[in-house]
Amino acid sequence: MKVVQVKCPNCDLPLNMEMKDELFYCSNCGTMHTREAQRVEQIPYEIADFRKDTLIDNRVYIPFWRLCTDFRIRSRDVVGGFFDKLRQGLNGDNGSGSLYIFVPASHMDTAAFRYWAVHLTLNNPRYTTRADFAGTRRMPASTSRDEAIEMADFVALTLEAEKPGVLQYLDYSLTVQQAKVVYLPFMSSPSGLHLAW
Amino acid sequence: MSDRLSVGLNCPSCGGAISVTEGESTTNCRYCGSTLYIEGDNGVGTVVFKNKLDRDAAIKATQVWWRKGFKARDLKNVGTITEVYPIYLPFWSIGTRVAGWVCGYEERSTTDSKGNTRTEKVYKEEMVLQDLHYSDIACDPGDLGIRSVPNFSGEASFEDMDMIPTFESTTSHDDAIANAKADAIERGRESANVPNITFEKFHVLVRKVSMIYYPVWVVRYTYQDRMYMATVDGVTGRMLSGRAPGDPLYQSLAVTAGTSLGGLAAAGGIITLISFDSEVGIAGVILGLIVFGATYWFFRHGSEIVQGEFPDRKELSMRINGQTMMDRIRGLRI
Repeated sequence: MKVVQVKCPNCDLPLNMEMKDELFYCSNCGTMHTREAQRVEQIPYEIADFRKDTLIDNRVYIPFWRLCTDFRIRSRDVVGGFFDKLRQGLNGDNGSGSLYIFVPASHMDTAAFRYWAVHLTLNNPRYTTRADFAGTRRMPASTSRDEAIEMADFVALTLEAEKPGVLQYLDYSLTVQQAKVVYLPFMSSPSGLHLAW
Repeated sequence: MSDRLSVGLNCPSCGGAISVTEGESTTNCRYCGSTLYIEGDNGVGTVVFKNKLDRDAAIKATQVWWRKGFKARDLKNVGTITEVYPIYLPFWSIGTRVAGWVCGYEERSTTDSKGNTRTEKVYKEEMVLQDLHYSDIACDPGDLGIRSVPNFSGEASFEDMDMIPTFESTTSHDDAIANAKADAIERGRESANVPNITFEKFHVLVRKVSMIYYPVWVVRYTYQDRMYMATVDGVTGRMLSGRAPGDPLYQSLAVTAGTSLGGLAAAGGIITLISFDSEVGIAGVILGLIVFGATYWFFRHGSEIVQGEFPDRKELSMRINGQTMMDRIRGLRI
């Protein structure tokens, strides 16, 4: 076991992050990178801006992996769900196409993980971006890109399984074309976390 | 485990001692604030628990254990400790998250008032999303009777590793990950409870991988010229596993009481069945047979009291590279 001081792969300055985070962020040049064993990789990211009326003290950024995917369904077997099948037949819609899948990069309990992954994938967020975090606290990331791709498959399958009817079989493919970390603005309150853009 | 552990490493920037949470690979130096990354073997963090017991404490724990349960009543007077020594055992500790879907159906049969039986399919689609923990000994446990990490709290330190014989891991990192993933899928599938599966897809994320070296005291003793062994937790001091002689008196009492009660229950059941043609009679016969079975089990196994995780008695004679586990322990003893 060996301990190394983390330095930015772009500007070579040592990092002094206040929290433990799998995504290492250089506040000097803005580069974000990950480390796995001895492999260092720079990660593309976006920071969404907060709604103006959000109280500064309640602001928190939560990282998500945004995966641009191509989801193709070759065949499915669903019991029941007559009207949904009829709608799909009339529209020629078999559920295939491009899909932006959002996977929480922070550790969340299983219920929160499922809620935010499904909610944001069904309702892709639209936001304006900013260049830095402006001192706003952020939740640490703990999910790697490869893990996010695994979970994206689960999210896509969840969307399909939660349609009307009882799924019995699904033959599909999911291809990830692009992966990016997106820091989404949230507002923390006694009732939980709420989106704030 | 959420406890922070002192791992005997120093910050490369300021030289301050580093503490980390088990299984995590990043930390911040509490003295200079530098962000640090811990490179383990294949990303594995190693944690060595500090031994807190001495020889006398291990002997005392064993002697207290002798007095408990249905062990031979004269064991505390006749039993003779022959060897006492500590060893370090390696364990894999792996946190996983399993996510997936299981689809299929369950067949339910109903019988109507005319005696016609009808079977219908109840279709199911079940989501699996769970955080799990997998722990398994990383060497062959042989006849130690220990398979999982006894405890997750304690002080960590590498200093005892030079003093106490250490069993090397014989399970590879990849095998441990594969076993943890297979375990997560199996537990996920079980939790879905779909008897006839037509489609399933699982994903398993490995959250934390640690190799834990845990101190265990091995206590060997004799009773009436027979050798026995017990193990004591080197951190908490509690008994982990062991074999001890049973007491013939308890066996005799159990046989007498068991056959009497079983016979009464079975005979009562048969009489009730013949006289009243009641289902209570069948229940009585079944109860009698269960009591007979339990009596036989106690008679058969009561000659030796066993505590611990012994998956199969056949493993007692398991050999590793031509050596039994006991041979290896003897060879490591200081």
